[in-house]
Amino acid sequence: MSLRDDGNGLIRLEGACPVEEAEALAALLLARPGAGVEWSRCTGLHTAVVQVLLRLRPPLHGTCGDPFAARWLAPLLAPSDPS
Amino acid sequence: MSDAAPALPADDLVAEFVTEARELIEAAAEDLLALDGAPGEAEAVNRVFRAFHTLKGAAALFGWPAMLAVLHAAEDGLSAARAGTLATGSGLVDLALAALDATARWTEAIAAAGAIPAGAEAESARLVERFRALLASEPRIAPGGEAGPAPDWAADLLTEVGDRASGELTAVHYRPRPDCFFAGDDPLGLVRRLPGLLALRLAPAAPWPPVEELDVFACNLAVTLLTADPRAEVEAVFRLVRDQVTIATLAAPKETAPSAEAAPRTGAEAAPRAVRVEAGRIDALVALAEDLAAARSLLGDVVARAASGTDLTGLVPALRASDERIGRLAAELHREAVGLRLQPLARIFRRFPRALRDIARQLGKEVTLTLEGEEIEVDRDGADGLFEPLLHLLRNAVDHGIEEPAARARAGKPAAGRIVLRAEGRGERVVVSVSDDGRGLDPAFIRRRAAERGLMPPAALAALDEAGLIDLIFAPGFSTAAEVGAVSGRGVGMDAVRAALRHLGGGCTVESRAGHGTTVHLVLPRAQSLARLLLVEVGPELYGLPMEAVAEVARVPRERIRDVGPGAATVLRDCTVPVFRLADLLAVPADDAPAADGPRSDAPSSDPSAAEARLAVLRSGGDPVAVEVDRFAGRLDALVRPLPGLAALPGLAGTTLTGDGRVILVLDPDTLIDGRAGEGTT
Repeated sequence: MSLRDDGNGLIRLEGACPVEEAEALAALLLARPGAGVEWSRCTGLHTAVVQVLLRLRPPLHGTCGDPFAARWLAPLLAPSDPS
Repeated sequence: MSDAAPALPADDLVAEFVTEARELIEAAAEDLLALDGAPGEAEAVNRVFRAFHTLKGAAALFGWPAMLAVLHAAEDGLSAARAGTLATGSGLVDLALAALDATARWTEAIAAAGAIPAGAEAESARLVERFRALLASEPRIAPGGEAGPAPDWAADLLTEVGDRASGELTAVHYRPRPDCFFAGDDPLGLVRRLPGLLALRLAPAAPWPPVEELDVFACNLAVTLLTADPRAEVEAVFRLVRDQVTIATLAAPKETAPSAEAAPRTGAEAAPRAVRVEAGRIDALVALAEDLAAARSLLGDVVARAASGTDLTGLVPALRASDERIGRLAAELHREAVGLRLQPLARIFRRFPRALRDIARQLGKEVTLTLEGEEIEVDRDGADGLFEPLLHLLRNAVDHGIEEPAARARAGKPAAGRIVLRAEGRGERVVVSVSDDGRGLDPAFIRRRAAERGLMPPAALAALDEAGLIDLIFAPGFSTAAEVGAVSGRGVGMDAVRAALRHLGGGCTVESRAGHGTTVHLVLPRAQSLARLLLVEVGPELYGLPMEAVAEVARVPRERIRDVGPGAATVLRDCTVPVFRLADLLAVPADDAPAADGPRSDAPSSDPSAAEARLAVLRSGGDPVAVEVDRFAGRLDALVRPLPGLAALPGLAGTTLTGDGRVILVLDPDTLIDGRAGEGTT
């Protein structure tokens, strides 16, 4: 299972998050404005999932377990991005 | 035969690969030979390129590095020819034919022995080297290969990189098509393949729509990046989305060069691919959306009255009416929306004629296949899920159904066996059947076999009528690896077909007349439907049980659950019903597991409610079976998504989301109980 609501206001991304997860992630984030996303156990994100994070900008917790995302995507997804 | 079941996908995937590869190789060879005569034919080059590309994609699933390397090299060569940077002379044609020939030989080795022959690596390396030499020797006109100053869109990034880079850089502006996710593209997956990445920007390609209109499957991203990877390698990475990228070669930062150059950009003009939808369906969706908005505004009135302090119980009728109306509209909306997922079965059916011909040839039989009802529409997932069961049935029909030509002649039948694959719509269900005019099933043989294998107690077996007997071919353990021919699969019987159909929410039946043939009917729902679930809890976890399988729910004092022989049972309405703990069936911890060796009736617990067991009584096959859960947690109407084939486990039907976003596992009562039924009943 790559998407999990831990009940404490954090949505956890785990393992590889394929394109299908985008819909569930968006639904969870829209249902809980302000919920954070914990992605340290995530090992890969499909572009559709990244797009949801970019659009809804939830606070991200932890360092992404996928080095590419941690290096290149994390800075772009920071909530304070002025763009 | 559950231990053999996992072999099905792998074997069938290989068989599917072989079938597809043979077709592609044949088509590509024809095109290459045509190209040899008329080198300039662009469409033929495209077709050959696509054939190699598809072959490569298919081979990549299995990990045959030698084959993959050759296909990759050939693809690169053809890609250059397609781009007009490499002449499609006889040099390329000869080499591509040699690559095709090697691929064909390896494919046959895979078909026969399941593996690529020894020595393939060396041959592969030689071919790859020849492609490399060809690409290096031919005069290449590299458009835009010269370094130039940064185009506007890359200027920012260049500043960002500053002096971290030296030498030539490659800049890429990539605007994926909005529907690219549906085509299986993962745009950032391509970016990830650039080891020399220096800077990356991600921006909405068009202004974001409001959050309420968020369409997560429409790609609205523009990717801009700067990399130290050479242009040729960047082009290779973005080869398949070439129409969506602009690539420019830049001089290192702080240097200027005299000429600006950017590759022509064609992405903007490329028409997005679309789903064809009947205008009527859109109108219906719009009308429903309007009704839903009206229903919501009525609910808004009720909320306002509640907020103003009106007596809350007085609002119940209005709330109930609102709930009912929104529920009805949601169901209608759902029905309309799933209609958009329907696809004609032709997509699946068309793959069979070639496969069947190969099987027949292998077995030395003559068979004609007739397709009927290809236009019948069914849910996309349902159609995909039918492929393997149908392939299995067709193989069975050729292998076991159709007789040898000589035997057919003696029976007065035409030499060529006749197999009909037919689809029919019946209301909300679709029936797909495979009929052959072969020898039919022999009830006496089935009775003997069932007795030998101990599939049923002798008395029950003796009482079966003919229809009941032939239905036994679907019983687990009826067929075994020892006598199933190589073509019909390795130890996977009809029980796998029945399991696959059950997984799709359907079932299968068989009818047969000795000497005249056999017909297997597969029935499945036409479209995805909302399932009504009973939610139950075990420990902290929530599970869904399909309501249609739940006969009743009951609370039973623990002392009325008795250990009988191998399991526990209780008496409900004068019937002895075996009792299983759901926690045991799923091998998960429950709230308060009773002492492992103590009888249930005196399990001590501090929880007063533990004096009663909560039971969901399921209809599994014929006899009721009770499943004990920790708590009942209400009902849910939800769309159940099947688990991907390889993740399918006995006992699980799929997953669904609750209103508050929890993912819950939906149980499949039949397979949940199947393995245990014998333990509970004495």
